[in-house]
Amino acid sequence: MIVESRELKLKNRIPVTRIAKYWEGLKEGKVFKTVCKCGMSYYPPKADCVCGNQTEWVEIVGEGIVESFTVVHSIPACFEWGGVYRIVIAKFEDVRVMGWSEEDVKIGERVSILTKKDASGIWKVWFEKR
Amino acid sequence: MRVGVVGVGCSKFGVRDVTLQEIAFEAVIEALKDANLSQEEIDLSVVGCVGTRSYELMPTVVINEYCGFSGKGPLGVEAACATGSAAVYTAYSSIKSGISDISIVIGVEKMTEVDTAVSAAIGGRAGNYLWEHHFYGTTFPAYYAMHATAHMARFGTTEKQMALVAVKAHRNAAKNPKAHFQKEITVEEVLSSKVIAYPLKLYDCSPISDGASAAVLASEKAVKDYGLDAVWFESIGFSSDTSNMTMRENFFSLRATRIAAEMAYKGAKISDPLRSFDFATVHDCFTIAEIIAYEDLGFCKKGKGGEFIEKGESDFGGKIPVNTFGGLKARGHPLAATGVAMVYEIVKQLREEAGKLQVDLKHYRALTHNIGGTGHFSWVFIFGR
Repeated sequence: MIVESRELKLKNRIPVTRIAKYWEGLKEGKVFKTVCKCGMSYYPPKADCVCGNQTEWVEIVGEGIVESFTVVHSIPACFEWGGVYRIVIAKFEDVRVMGWSEEDVKIGERVSILTKKDASGIWKVWFEKR
Repeated sequence: MRVGVVGVGCSKFGVRDVTLQEIAFEAVIEALKDANLSQEEIDLSVVGCVGTRSYELMPTVVINEYCGFSGKGPLGVEAACATGSAAVYTAYSSIKSGISDISIVIGVEKMTEVDTAVSAAIGGRAGNYLWEHHFYGTTFPAYYAMHATAHMARFGTTEKQMALVAVKAHRNAAKNPKAHFQKEITVEEVLSSKVIAYPLKLYDCSPISDGASAAVLASEKAVKDYGLDAVWFESIGFSSDTSNMTMRENFFSLRATRIAAEMAYKGAKISDPLRSFDFATVHDCFTIAEIIAYEDLGFCKKGKGGEFIEKGESDFGGKIPVNTFGGLKARGHPLAATGVAMVYEIVKQLREEAGKLQVDLKHYRALTHNIGGTGHFSWVFIFGR
C-alpha cells in the first residue's frame, strides 16, 4: 500500500550578487574567469581567492581544446523542455569550461567559445568547431 | 588498540515495498544477531543516509529511533555515494579514540520513492549545482560518461571492455540472493541496451535501488571481554577532490582514489596489491568506474584497465577477484548502504561464509574502495583476519 506525501515545490533564490558580472557577460557574448594577483585562476569564477585576496575579472578568449564530452539521452526532470543534448568540457589556457555544443565534437578538436540562450531561456556557454 | 568488525547485516537490495527505517532495521537486527549483541551493548550509533530521494528529509533520528538506539547518539553522516565509508570511519574513530567501545554503523537509502527523471535530476546535483546541473543538465551517468569518452580517447578502451564489467557483475549477483539483479546478461545485451549518456548504456549503469547495511564495530578490549569474532581494520586511506568537474586534473583517472590508496597501502605496508589481497570490492557505479579503479588502485598500469577485465584478471581465479557479490552495478547501489555493504562482503568472505561466491583465501586480507560523487570523496579500507 502506498501513501502519497504532500507536494513540496523546491526552488531556491540563489544570491549571485558578488559574481553578477558573469551573468552580465553571458548576455553580452562574453565568458569571464576570475584571477588573483597571487597567480590563481578560477573557472567557474569566484569572488574570493583562497589566499584571502579579492579576485579580478578576465574574459576567456581564443580557442579551446575538447577534453571530454557526452550526449545525454536519459533526460533529468527540469530539462524535459528539450531533446538530447551534448555536454562538452574544453580547456582554454589555464581553465576548463563546461558548455553545450550542437555539433558532434571529438576529443582533441579545437573549439571557440560563445554564449547563447537555451530553449528554456537561460544564457549559457556553447562551443562551436573552429 | 585495534578496532574490529564483529557483526554485519545487509537487507535485500532492489525495489522494496518498505520504508527507510524498516529496511534499515532488516540490516541492523541481522548485524546485532551476527555479533550476538543487543542494542543495550551499543555505545554509539552512526547513521549514514544521503536521503534526498526518500520522504524523510532529516532521517537520522527517525532511523535511529526505529532501530532501538534512542539515546545512543546518533551521529548523522553524509558524503554522497561514499556516505557508508564516512560513517564507518566515524564509528571507527570513536572507538579508536576511546570514546566508545562498541558502535554500530547503519548505511541506508530509499531511492525508488521518486520517478526516474526526478532521481536523475537529484543525482545530477552530485557535483556543483549552480555551475554544472543548473546550466548544463549534468546527470550522474553523464559525469561518468565524460570519464568514459576521455578514457576511450586516451587509451583506446572499448565499449565491449566496459560491457565485460557488467557481464561479470551480473554473473556474480545471480548467485547472491540479496542482489538487486538475479539474472546473467551477455555482452550483446549490454551493447544493444538503450543509451543513457553516450557511451554508457542502460547495462553500464548501476540500478536505482533501495537497501541497507549495518556493521557492529568493537575495540580489541570489547572483543576479548565479550568473546567476539572480529575482522580487523588494518589501514584506512581517504581523500577528496573539487566539486566542479571542470577543476579536475584530467578525466581518465580519479586523483582522490590514487591518494586514498597510497595512504592505505602505506599504512598496511603494502607494495604490491596483487600479492597482498585475496579479493577487492571497488566502486563500480558505472562499468567505466571499475576499469578506472583497477588502474588507480594499482591492480594494473594506467590505461590497461580494459585489458585487465578482458583477460579475466578481476574474475574468480584471476589475479584479484573484484566485486564478488555483484558490485554496485548488479548487487545495487543504494548510496549510503554501499560503503557498509562492502564491509559486509569483506567480513563474509574473510570468515569463509560466502557460499557459492566464496573466494580462495591465502592472505586473509582484502580492501574496500568507495567513491562519493565522481571522485569527490574516496575511501580505501584494508581489512585482515
